Amino acid sequence: MKILIADDSRVMRQIVIRTLRQAGHGGHEIVEAENGRQALELVRTEAPDLVLSDWNMPEMNGIDCLSALRASGSTVAFGFVTSEGSEEMRERAASAGAAFLIAKPFTPEAFDDALRGVI
Amino acid sequence: MAVHLPQPKQLRDLLTDLLGRDVTLSPSSPFAPGPDTPATVAVYVDDSLQIRALIACDLAFSARAGAAIGLVPLGDAEAAIGDGRLPDPMAENLAEVLNIAASTFNVPGADHLRLHLVHPAGPPLDPQVRISTLTLGRREDVYVDIAGYGAGALSVILL
Repeated sequence: MKILIADDSRVMRQIVIRTLRQAGHGGHEIVEAENGRQALELVRTEAPDLVLSDWNMPEMNGIDCLSALRASGSTVAFGFVTSEGSEEMRERAASAGAAFLIAKPFTPEAFDDALRGVI
Repeated sequence: MAVHLPQPKQLRDLLTDLLGRDVTLSPSSPFAPGPDTPATVAVYVDDSLQIRALIACDLAFSARAGAAIGLVPLGDAEAAIGDGRLPDPMAENLAEVLNIAASTFNVPGADHLRLHLVHPAGPPLDPQVRISTLTLGRREDVYVDIAGYGAGALSVILL
């Protein structure tokens, strides 16, 4: 499957890719975006099966990206990978249509638990 | 509401998980950068964009943590310390450590903070930012030893 990773930090995109592999989800095609606006565009042009997105990003944040996707009719599976792990943020993520929220720093087990429901 | 002052255990757990290495914390005197001291300062704001907290790190911690998160060789961290400034990729890596460190402020019942900007170690610090790092009161000053990379100073300062 094709996974789009949106995070403004290059090192964090690398860590997410590494953790996917460690969680037993290696071998997927990966597409990277540096912010929500780029992610929105890449969902249209690349048609990923899953989006893993940071919350706080320049240009467009993750929650606005998710809202724009849902408003445009996209049903792509969308999960947050973010340092925003509070209950309030989890509720906002879920009500906007996110499938899960993984809090940074994360473990391969947390990835596996979250991804098993959508992959 | 008030800002939560992260406890040493929270900081240790965060760095251990994030860097994937053993991290040891010990109490330290407050890190007080002078006009010529290379120091990284991360600025955290609340939801009204008021500056509420800083994390200040010496050059040694900045280089070692910035290298450790990206699996950059220790030699590159030592070279940065010798040069007196962080190269851009190391500064970018450190910024992500400091971004995720915002989560240590965000406990139930406390004001929500997020990273606003990072002044990386090397260029002279904005004098106002430097003076703010000298604030006494609610602060946590620790010496952080990252296994395989070495030690440096880190201070969390509430404003």
